[in-house]
Amino acid sequence: MTLLREQLGRFIAQLRNAGLRVSVAESIDAMNAVAAAGLARDRMREALAATLVKDEADRAPFDEAFGRFFAAPATGPGRRRHPDQRGVMESSARGQGRPGENPPLREPFRETQKEPLRDNPAKPGEARGASLSSPNLKEREARGGVPLSLVDPRAEPSAAHSVVEEAGSAEPQQAGLEGTRMAHLREIERRPFAAYTDLEYDQARELLKPLERRFRIRVGRRLRMACRGRVDFRRTIRAGIQRGGVLAELKFRARRPRHVDVLLLADISGSVRYAAELTLELVAGARNCFRRVRSFVYIDRLAEAEFEQGHLVTSPPLDLYARSDFGRVLVELSKRQTELLTRQTLVVILGDARNNRRPARADLIREIARRCRAVVWLNPEDPARWGTGDSAINQYGPVVTALYPSGNLRELEKALVAAC
Amino acid sequence: MELTIKFVADGLKKARYITNERVETAIFLALTLEKPLLIEGPAGAGKTEVAKVLSEMLETSLVRLQCYEGLDEARALYEWNYQKQLLRMQADEAQGLRWEEVSEHIFSADYLLERPLLKAITAPRRVVLLIDEVDKADEEFEAFLLELLSDFQVSVPELGTVRALERPIVVLTSNRARDLSEALRRRCLHLFIDFPGVEQERRIIELKVPNLDTRLAAEAARFVASVRKLGLRKPPSIAESLDWTRALLHLGVKELDTEAIRAALGVLLKHEDDRTKVESRASSLATRPR
Repeated sequence: MTLLREQLGRFIAQLRNAGLRVSVAESIDAMNAVAAAGLARDRMREALAATLVKDEADRAPFDEAFGRFFAAPATGPGRRRHPDQRGVMESSARGQGRPGENPPLREPFRETQKEPLRDNPAKPGEARGASLSSPNLKEREARGGVPLSLVDPRAEPSAAHSVVEEAGSAEPQQAGLEGTRMAHLREIERRPFAAYTDLEYDQARELLKPLERRFRIRVGRRLRMACRGRVDFRRTIRAGIQRGGVLAELKFRARRPRHVDVLLLADISGSVRYAAELTLELVAGARNCFRRVRSFVYIDRLAEAEFEQGHLVTSPPLDLYARSDFGRVLVELSKRQTELLTRQTLVVILGDARNNRRPARADLIREIARRCRAVVWLNPEDPARWGTGDSAINQYGPVVTALYPSGNLRELEKALVAAC
Repeated sequence: MELTIKFVADGLKKARYITNERVETAIFLALTLEKPLLIEGPAGAGKTEVAKVLSEMLETSLVRLQCYEGLDEARALYEWNYQKQLLRMQADEAQGLRWEEVSEHIFSADYLLERPLLKAITAPRRVVLLIDEVDKADEEFEAFLLELLSDFQVSVPELGTVRALERPIVVLTSNRARDLSEALRRRCLHLFIDFPGVEQERRIIELKVPNLDTRLAAEAARFVASVRKLGLRKPPSIAESLDWTRALLHLGVKELDTEAIRAALGVLLKHEDDRTKVESRASSLATRPR
């Protein structure tokens, strides 16, 4: 009983090492499942999979770990043991598939007590060799339908042990692993875009998925919950009929999906590049919340941006080494305004407004803001530096509808939710 | 009735559901451990069917909750029967009862309209509760399901907590329209049902389309399996491949050649681009070495 539990515990530790998230509740489920399904190898694997693998993507690492861990012992004729399942797991009596196949063993695992697992002096290499060299054997066993004889208590634990040792000490690191990962991601959420390394940018992109979902829900929910606005008399009266004509509950016109066109202009010059790409990707992911989304990137000219399999593609291609000139971009935009801007357009501009001291043309923004729904500026730069040097944000600030700092993922999300 | 894997396997067979060890084990565990079973997999691989077969196997009724966006408690759990409450109030008023007495009456189980979830919980005998396409429901609803799935109880503010008399067997299905929360996954056993392999599909076809020539059935199964590998917009489901083989039967097809493939392809594939893709490869698919 204890042995099996320990074995499963170690197996779960290995799964966690392999990156699966297994909660304590799930490991208890797994033990109950094995107790119910019995120790026949395939059954046991499926039972463990049903309780421990909650995402098909994790199935491959699981199978690999299972194959490695529950290898049959390298058997000489006398060494294969058929553990008495009733002896090993009292609770399993009910669920046994083929009890007849497992002759009772009177002295379950006495050897184990003689040789405490942890103090086992087995040479790791040898033990691992035994467990890794046996896949053929275990395949044969699986095919033949012979119940899995529980791994040799002497060989396997040390093998497992050695694997764990390779990855560092088992338990404390386990507990730490997930925590560290989470903490790291949290930190990335708060880290200023300007301080990103390429690696962190990649990690931030992974973070976009949940962020995107949250964004969609927040924007979407406002569409769904109509609890003010115009009263829908027909539905109110219908609801009133249920209550004997008392209009106790007002029903409102569900708001139509808003006819919002989003026009996103993102500066992809070196200084704010990461912020821009993350914003573009985030908005692209939430595009079905709006009627139409058009994304542009700029440095000194406008270029339409598109995501193709996660890669930003701009047309026409931009000269990435050009000097930022937003004034010129604005001129270009106002020339194309009949095509791009309607009364329903929400213009979202992302950039640090560092214009290389060229004309800011804030007057054009004022004009654009008059023609469309709103112009919102997201500035990834640290607010303390706004207006210093060649920053023209103080000229743009008064003419846009709203100006939000968006120096990290958190702020960016907040700003976007507020803007949309 | 003793619950063994063999019982499950036989039951599935008797209910004409052909499957593999993975599915059997997962179902067996769901029954033994009394945990909800979350089934994921491509559309048309037989997820919903599991629940139907389970209810048939256990000779009990199936309570089904189809999820959709905007599904709320009133439609999933319970609602007060306002009309009846009003009638009662008017009747009580006529008798001159005081409000305290009236209100005691009208918020009792008699005035509750049971929706699927509550029905499954209060059923006098064990039922199978199918929560279909849970990924279509909102996240709020998913959170609300948690109490039900872990403790098999629900809270109705006016009545208190309603506990299950007999724990229902819960089957949830998901098409992965969105990721389900970790909390929900943790409470369920997980089962991924993929499209069947060639051999399994052949057995399904032979079982469900018994008049079909065995050799043709094997060829059809092989063809469908290779079509699924083409990376189509919508790979054919099991139901579609069954319809298709029936169509072959009615068309009097004797051999699965290019002609035969073209003839009934519309039954198997529902997108124009998928069709052209398969048609262009029909000859290579048909003359696949036996």
